[in-house]
Amino acid sequence: MATSSSHHGTRRRLLKGAALAAGTLAFPMISRAQGKPIRIGVPTILSGRVAQLGISSRNALEMEAEKFNAAGGLGGRKIEIVARDSKGKPDEAANNTRQLINSEGCEIIISAESSAGAFAVQEVIRELKVLCIHTNSETSSLSADPKIRVPSAFRVARQGIHDAIVSASHAAKIAKAKNLKTWMTCSPDYAYGRDNTGLFVEYLKKFYPQAEIVGEAWPKLFQADYTENLTKILQAKPQALYSALWAGDLVSFVDQSSIYNLFAQTNLFAINMADYTTLTAVKNLPAGIHSATRYIKTFPANAENAAWADAYKGKYKDFPTNWSWENATAMSFLTAAMKKTNATESSKLADVLRGMKIKTPFGADGTITMRAEDQTTIGYALGWGTTIPKEPYVVEIQAGDWNAILEHEAQWKKKMGYV
Amino acid sequence: MKQASVGRDIALAVGAFALLAILPLVFPNKSLADFVVRLSAFAVFATSLNLLVGYAGMVSFGHGLFYGLGAYSFALMLQKLGLSVPLAFLLTMVFSALVALVIGAICIRLKEIYFSFLTLAFQMLLHSIIIAWTAVTGGDQGLTGGLPRPPFLGIRLDDPRHLYLFCCAIMIISLFVMWHLVRSPFGYTLRMIRDNPRRTAFLGVQVWRVRLLAFVVAGVFGAIGGALMSLFVSSAYPDFAYWTVSGEAVFMILLGGMSVFLGPTAGAAILLLLNDTVTKLTEHYSLVLGIVILLFALGLRKGLLGFLVEAWSKRGAQTSAPATASRH
Repeated sequence: MATSSSHHGTRRRLLKGAALAAGTLAFPMISRAQGKPIRIGVPTILSGRVAQLGISSRNALEMEAEKFNAAGGLGGRKIEIVARDSKGKPDEAANNTRQLINSEGCEIIISAESSAGAFAVQEVIRELKVLCIHTNSETSSLSADPKIRVPSAFRVARQGIHDAIVSASHAAKIAKAKNLKTWMTCSPDYAYGRDNTGLFVEYLKKFYPQAEIVGEAWPKLFQADYTENLTKILQAKPQALYSALWAGDLVSFVDQSSIYNLFAQTNLFAINMADYTTLTAVKNLPAGIHSATRYIKTFPANAENAAWADAYKGKYKDFPTNWSWENATAMSFLTAAMKKTNATESSKLADVLRGMKIKTPFGADGTITMRAEDQTTIGYALGWGTTIPKEPYVVEIQAGDWNAILEHEAQWKKKMGYV
Repeated sequence: MKQASVGRDIALAVGAFALLAILPLVFPNKSLADFVVRLSAFAVFATSLNLLVGYAGMVSFGHGLFYGLGAYSFALMLQKLGLSVPLAFLLTMVFSALVALVIGAICIRLKEIYFSFLTLAFQMLLHSIIIAWTAVTGGDQGLTGGLPRPPFLGIRLDDPRHLYLFCCAIMIISLFVMWHLVRSPFGYTLRMIRDNPRRTAFLGVQVWRVRLLAFVVAGVFGAIGGALMSLFVSSAYPDFAYWTVSGEAVFMILLGGMSVFLGPTAGAAILLLLNDTVTKLTEHYSLVLGIVILLFALGLRKGLLGFLVEAWSKRGAQTSAPATASRH
C-alpha cells in the first residue's frame, strides 16, 4: 500500500510537474498567438492610369484598421494590411493573391481589384477557400451568377444592375418632366461601358417607352481626344446624353464638351461624375450635369458621413473616392464578423457574414446588409443629383428606392437564368 | 555516338525532373511551387521565341499571339467543350500549328522590321477578336467560372501537387524537344539562314520552307506556354494576347541570354523573381525593371547565362593554355 501510495504520489507530482511545464511552455505560445497580427492581403492596382483605385482603397482600409487596432484589435491581435500591386493585369492579380495567402501568411483577402482582376482573384479563392471580400468590382455576375459565385467570397460594392435601375428610373422622371425623347449614349468601349450602358438603355425604355436612342458613341478606354465622338453627338442633336465614362476619361470628355458648348444643347446624364476626384479635376465644372452619387460627403446627409470624409481628407490630404467608402465598409463588415466570432477562420467569418447587417454612414437608412443568398451588399446609399461648380458640387440629390431596385433585380436575375 | 548523346540528354532530363519533384519536399513552400509552375509556362514560351530570334534571326514582336491562342483554345476546350486534358492539350497544339502555318506563310517572306511588325499586327488582331467576341471569350473580363480538370491516368490537376509535377514534366519535355531540334540538321540550317540566307539558298536549301517550319514549331511551343499559364490561373485573359506579353518574352531572352539554350529559361526566372520581389517593395516596378534592363544592355549584353558561359569557357581556355604551352 505504502508503495502504492508513494507511487501515486510520484505520479501526481509528475502530472503536476508536467502540467506546470506544459503551462509554462504553452503560455508564451498563447501570448504569441494573441499578439500575432491579423494579416489581410489586398491585391489591387497601385500603378498606372488607375492607381487612384488602389491608393484610395488602401487608404480607407488602413484608416479603418487603425480605428480597430486603437480599440484593442481582436483580443490584442491587430490588423495589418498587406497590399500588392497587380498593375491592372489579371494573371498578376491571381499570382499576388496566391502569394499573399501562401507566403505572406494572410488569413483574409480584400480584393480591391477592378472587375477583370476580381474575376481572377475569384478563381484563386475558389481553389484556396480563404475568406475574400471583393470591394471595387461592380460587375453583377461576380456574385449574381451561381456558376461564378464562391462560398467564401463576398462583395461589398455597388452592383451594375442596382445602378442601372436607379439611373434609368431617375432619368425617366426627368425625361418625362422635360419631355426628353431623343437620347444618345457615349460610353467607354469595353465590358463595363457596354454592360452599364446596355442595362441603362433597357431600363430607360421600360420606365419611359417614349425614349428613342438616336445614336451611340464608343470612345476607347483612356482615349485622349473626343472630337470625333463630340462631332457625332452634335450632328445627332440628342435632347439627352447618357455616359458611363469615368475618372480621367470623363474629365477630358466634359472639358472638351464645354469647348463645343454641348451642354447648352443637351442634358448630360453621367453616372460617374459625382466623385470628388472627377468633380475637382474638371476645369470649369458645368452646372446641371445629372450624376449618380459615387461618393459625396453630403449624401447620405448624416454627420458621420461628413466626419468620415473630413477625417480621410485630413489624414491623406486628398478626397475619398467611391472605392474608399466601399473598402471602409468592407473593413467594417470584417471587423464586425471578427468581433462576433472572436476568430479569424474563414469558415466562421463566412457563416456570420451571410445576412449580416451593420450600421454605417454609407447606408441608405444608416445600415447595409450582406444579402445571404448571393453574398453581396444591398441597402447602400444610391442617389442622383445635379452638379454646381462649387462645393458641395452636387445638389438636389434624390435617393433611389431600394424596394423598386430589389423587385427589378429579382426579375433581371430570372431573365438571366441566375435563379 | 549520337545515340549516347541522346541517352545522356534523357538522363539529364530525368534528373532535372527528379530534382524539381523533390524540391517541394525539401522546401515545402507553396509560393515556391507556384513560382516553378509560372516559370514552366514562361520558360517554354520564351525558349520558343528564342528559336525564332536567337537561332533563326527572325525577330517576332507578335509571338504573344501563340501564348494567348494557346491559353484561350486550351481553356475553352476544357470549359466549353468539356474535353479531357490530354485531348485539349493535343488539339491546342494542332490548332496553334495550323494558325502558325497560315500566319507564317504570310509573314516569313518579309524581312526584318516588316516581319516584326506584321507578326505584331496579327497578335493585336487576335487581341481585338478576344475583346470583341464576348460570347465565347468573355471579352475583357476573360473566361469566368474556372476550368474543369477531369482526372486522367490518375493525374488530378485540381490537386496543386499534381499540377506542379505536370507543369514540370511538360516544361522538361518541351525544352528537351527544342534542345534536340536546335542540335539537329534543322537547327544548324536555321543558324545558317540567320547568318547568311543567300548563301544558304545557294546550297539548295529552300529558305522559306525552313523558316516556316521554325515559325510553326515556335508557335506550337508558345501555345504550350499559354496553356500551362491558363491552368495556373484557371482561366484565360485578353492580357495573355496583348503585345506586352511578347515584350516580356523579349526581356526574358535579353536577361538570360539568347546565345545559350537555357538563357530564356534563366531570363524567365530572373524576370519573375524581379517582379515578385520588387512588387513587394515598391509600386515603381516599371522603373526598376527599366533600370535592370538598361544595366543588362550596357554591362551584360549576352545575358546572365551567356556571360557566365563565356566567363567559364575563358577560364577553361586560360587554364588549358599553360598546359598546352608546356607541351610545346
